[in-house]
Amino acid sequence: MTVSSGAITTQLGDQGLGHQPWWVEQWMELINSYRFKKRLERAWEYARSGNVTSIRFEGRRVHARVQGSGEDPYKVKLWLDVLNDDDWGYVLDALTQKARWSAQLLAGVMPQDIERAFAASGKRLFPFKLQEVRSECSCPDKANPCKHVSAVFYLMGDRFSEDPFVLFQLRGRTRGQLLADLAKRRQKALAKQARQARARGQEPVMADTAAHPQHPAITDPNRWWRYGAALDPDLVVITPALEGESGLDAAGPLPLAEAPQFPEANQRFLAHVRHHGESMAALAMARAMDNGLSSPTDA
Amino acid sequence: MTLLHATWLFPPEGPGGRLFLWGDTWKAISPVQPGRSAPEHPLALTPDEVADWLDDNGYWSEALRPARATLTLPSRTQAARGRRSAGDQPWSGLPLQSGEPIPRQLEWWPWQVEGWALDPAGAAEWLSGLPLASGHPDMGDDLRWWTHLQRWALSLIARGRWLPQIEDGRARWLPLLNREGDRRRLEELAVGLPQVATCALAAGPEGDPALACRRPGNGRLRVASLLEALLDGQLRAGFKPDSDGLDPLLLAWQKALGKGDGQLHLDEEELERLTIATHHWREAVAGRVAPARACLELFTPAEGDELWDVRFSLQAEADPSLRVPAAVAWAAGDWGLQLGEVAVPQPSELLLEGLGRALTVFEPVERGLDATTPEAMQLTPAEAFVLVRTAATQLRDVGVGVVLPESLSGGLASRLGLAITAELPETSRGFTLGENLVWSWDFMIGGVTLNLRDLERLSAKRSPLVQHKGVWIELRPNDLRNAERFCNADPGLSLDDALRLTASDGDTFHRLPVHAFTAGPRLQAVMEQYHQQKAPDPLPAPPGFAGQLRPYQERGLGWLAFLHRFDQGACLADDMGLGKTIQLLAFLQHLKAEQELKRPVLLVAPTSVLTNWKREAAAFTPELAVQEHYGPRRPSTDAALKKALKGVDLVLTSYGLLQRDSELLESVDWQGVVIDEAQAIKTPTAKQSMAARDLARPGRGSRSGRFRIALTGTPVENRVSELWALMDFLNPKVLGDEPFFRQRYRLPIERYGDMASLRDLKARVGPFILRRLKTDKSIITDLPDKVELHEWVGLAPEQRKLYNRTVEESLDAIARAPLGQKHGQVLALLTKLKQVCNHPALALGEDVQAAVGNGVGNGAASGFAARSAKVQRLEEILEEVIEAGDRALLFTQFAEWGHLLKAHLERKWRQEVPFLYGNTSKTERQAMVDRFQDDPRGPQLFLLSLKAGGVGLNLTRASHVFHIDRWWNPAVENQATDRAYRIGQQNRVMVHKFITSGSVEERIDRMIKEKSKLAEDIVGSGEDWLGGMDMGQLKELVALQEPE
Repeated sequence: MTVSSGAITTQLGDQGLGHQPWWVEQWMELINSYRFKKRLERAWEYARSGNVTSIRFEGRRVHARVQGSGEDPYKVKLWLDVLNDDDWGYVLDALTQKARWSAQLLAGVMPQDIERAFAASGKRLFPFKLQEVRSECSCPDKANPCKHVSAVFYLMGDRFSEDPFVLFQLRGRTRGQLLADLAKRRQKALAKQARQARARGQEPVMADTAAHPQHPAITDPNRWWRYGAALDPDLVVITPALEGESGLDAAGPLPLAEAPQFPEANQRFLAHVRHHGESMAALAMARAMDNGLSSPTDA
Repeated sequence: MTLLHATWLFPPEGPGGRLFLWGDTWKAISPVQPGRSAPEHPLALTPDEVADWLDDNGYWSEALRPARATLTLPSRTQAARGRRSAGDQPWSGLPLQSGEPIPRQLEWWPWQVEGWALDPAGAAEWLSGLPLASGHPDMGDDLRWWTHLQRWALSLIARGRWLPQIEDGRARWLPLLNREGDRRRLEELAVGLPQVATCALAAGPEGDPALACRRPGNGRLRVASLLEALLDGQLRAGFKPDSDGLDPLLLAWQKALGKGDGQLHLDEEELERLTIATHHWREAVAGRVAPARACLELFTPAEGDELWDVRFSLQAEADPSLRVPAAVAWAAGDWGLQLGEVAVPQPSELLLEGLGRALTVFEPVERGLDATTPEAMQLTPAEAFVLVRTAATQLRDVGVGVVLPESLSGGLASRLGLAITAELPETSRGFTLGENLVWSWDFMIGGVTLNLRDLERLSAKRSPLVQHKGVWIELRPNDLRNAERFCNADPGLSLDDALRLTASDGDTFHRLPVHAFTAGPRLQAVMEQYHQQKAPDPLPAPPGFAGQLRPYQERGLGWLAFLHRFDQGACLADDMGLGKTIQLLAFLQHLKAEQELKRPVLLVAPTSVLTNWKREAAAFTPELAVQEHYGPRRPSTDAALKKALKGVDLVLTSYGLLQRDSELLESVDWQGVVIDEAQAIKTPTAKQSMAARDLARPGRGSRSGRFRIALTGTPVENRVSELWALMDFLNPKVLGDEPFFRQRYRLPIERYGDMASLRDLKARVGPFILRRLKTDKSIITDLPDKVELHEWVGLAPEQRKLYNRTVEESLDAIARAPLGQKHGQVLALLTKLKQVCNHPALALGEDVQAAVGNGVGNGAASGFAARSAKVQRLEEILEEVIEAGDRALLFTQFAEWGHLLKAHLERKWRQEVPFLYGNTSKTERQAMVDRFQDDPRGPQLFLLSLKAGGVGLNLTRASHVFHIDRWWNPAVENQATDRAYRIGQQNRVMVHKFITSGSVEERIDRMIKEKSKLAEDIVGSGEDWLGGMDMGQLKELVALQEPE
């Protein structure tokens, strides 16, 4: 946790910013562009010491509670300008043009050039200036954003890394709506292609939508009892993971925003899980070696 | 017989479900009419019976809890008999059991069953203790399927292929199945899933059994959920880390991952947030289990083109060869599409998600995704190489299919290897392994041949993917060096090499894999015979052989002679009754006729069959001089033995003497050693096994090699543990030393059922084992449907003593008896002698307890068998019957003998042996017959008294009939035989008639055969003749003729 030359990172672990997805970094840059550095430092203090007691995404708005100097926590609301249906229409049309955008979103990655799709509507996904992030705070401070709002800003960045679709939600479309709309538009595009193909005298490709076939066990009751396969040769000897090959290695850090008053909680949790996994792996190999040793057939 | 099953009870039956253990058994019962709820399974074991079985077999677990389930089972239904007034239930039914023939009227009914259940953690532990290979005969196939599933769970845990997750509001440890091997395995286990493993229906809200059925399903998702439950159960155990420094969210999650039902104590919104974050965390590693995946297909550039085509498609997980082009997936829309048998919902999302994932490991894909519905793209040669070399594997690991052109698709075929052409030299007869072949070779890669100059030219291009003869191949940096090294070595190729290289795939020659082996016609002929791809050339019965050989026996003889020419040991393992003895004798006569039999051959056999050998040799090969090395008067010094063996061709001895006289026997320069009932040397460390092995290797004084032949009727190739000792006797180098064999073959196969090792092992020993089954009608075309075998047996010492004493005492008494009693006394004597031939305990009237004893296991059983040569021989044959899964009828004329034998056989084989005799009630009789005929897992052995069981019954499930003692009248025996040999019999019937040689049994047999006057009297006119015999005739009939 360093505060240096005005650039403040929210990364609470050892890892540097480089490990953050780019869209989280972009959010952070937005905050750090704020002119009043002193206020930012205070906000960072707040965020780090756990004054933000809750953050909830309710539809297109973020509701948070921040413990200030007063007795009751202040209520903070944050929201972005929502795109209207027409704007979304343009964005969706643009998104449909490149399969890559849908593909990356479905695989959990925010496409780096996503703004190009939004440019079609003249709008943006990310706010360009901090002023575009609307906020309200129940504190008496006249300044906006006040330190409470800024503290929430910091923590929202981590929330974006939990789920890239959160930004779309703030702009007015949930994940489900977005995917359904994209599918519909692909269909439309295909229908158009098919019409054109027919106009050129070609037969369009058709999917085979035959009825679900009957399970073979219906007619062959032996499928009820019989299992003839031998053990897969790869399971004969049970071996441990190679270095860096476990699921935990592949998944990397937990994309869960940490509560600032519990620094390193994610790492602790992962360390517990990893430690448990290692001892269970040793146990599993021991069990696998002992298999059938006590059985009567081996006597 | 009972059969144990395991069925998963899905949640809400406890968190994560439970494993339900139950069993069924065969009973004769009447069909059940359905009522308002699912009927009780009438054939199910009671919970106590299941518990007893588990306890008896060491599988009881303290974690087992009583449980009840409603199972959907295939059922045999029929219209109710009797009145069928309207409104009555017109149908009744019975659940089918494993192995039962499929009835015409088949329905699926729910049945209620009681048993025992384990929670997932307990189930995982319990399953880990079960054998992975062929298990206990009382365990259903489904249990083996479960052990394989648990083995997989262990592997996933050992490799750390899991992540903690949140599913349906509960914390779970979730397996990651994205790796190629794991995906394939899920598919295999789903395809193999015995439906009984998942046929339970959840109970209603009140725990009441529902009157409904579970459809058999595409097992994929079901199997994944079972695996998840087992893995989750195991990883929960012991997860109790400290809670310091964790925020409430993680703390709640961590707690819920420990013991318990996984419930998280969080409000809805926090739960939602945690759920989304954890899913997002996992999605970067592994997608959800889906029926299909995105796939990239690489195509080589068109002629004159630089760029490689990649087409996108959707590939069925179940069958990688099932693919549809991306265009079809795009067009499918909301309805989904059908990939073969698999329904794929939302195919375009599936394709998009996969392509998005592909992008994370293989960047060039990005260019291909610029269109709305992309279908293909192009790669530069460099990109194509990356895809072939490294990205293909990475893509598969993130769950994206990759299809490469055949010549580049990895595996051995795309590596640099050899294509060999070879032939025997003109002058060779192809009989010595070391001789060098005339041969030529080419390098081969990806199916095309090339020479060293081609290789040099292609390497100079400095491009990893090159085109040669129109095919794209991948050259690796070492390829040229390996090729040069091979050329410099300029090795020769021996017949031995050729046989090895063609025995199994993947063998290498001077470090290069052999992709193709073309043999010239003469070499081909030798190799086909050696690998038994072709039946061995038949050899007709040699001159001097007094008998006929059936065609398959001529082939057997040809095979023995073939391996003999190679100086290879041979194991003739034909099914019982196919005449191994005759084939071996014909082989010895063949040597004799060829004037190749110059020194004596030693044949070792169990004592119980020595008599048989002697008689068969006398009958079929009268030219062979046969000598027994047996009994107290056998030679005891080297010199005496040498003298006794002068001019002898075949020496018979027992395994006992092989051990006791080992030094003496080793002093002889044998031409060959034959072991009969070769399973006798199965234990490598047993003294008789070592003695046999020592004899197989000629000592220093020997002039030349010794041939080795083993005879056995058991399926040796399936008894892995016994193979080593056998091969060590026959051809020691084939399987290496014992520790190597143990590590390489025995442990993997026996403990884990490793098929790859088993296949390799079989390929190695295959050339030396010839086994033909009498059921194989394509090979054994000329064997009659009923084969009669005479089993000649001797007498054990106690029997012999008792026999002689009985004869002496009775003859005296009869001589003195008044005429009126003589008749009865003669009859009593004959009966008594037949009893002695069976077993002394029968003749002495010992009761079952005293004779067979209370002891458990083989110790007590072998004590009983040691007293009777007939019982020993019977056991040897029954061993083969039981091993083969056949069923047998055993007839005797003595009820007391039936009781003794029943007790003995039941102990020996730990299975029920019913005995049907005069006192068996009518209902019991019917039950015994029904079980033997209809129960798929019924008893294999059925004892019957000749009088009570000899008529009327239909016992066609039996394919063996044993006449343990002889009756005077062959018609009575034939009638008994016909219980099995009658309409409805699907197999050949083997009829075994036991005859104690030298005894009254042999005399009766001979009389029946010779149809002598006496025999006619015996058969025709009752017992009058007995009184008419004078003492001389009587003495000749009963006195024991000692073998000369």
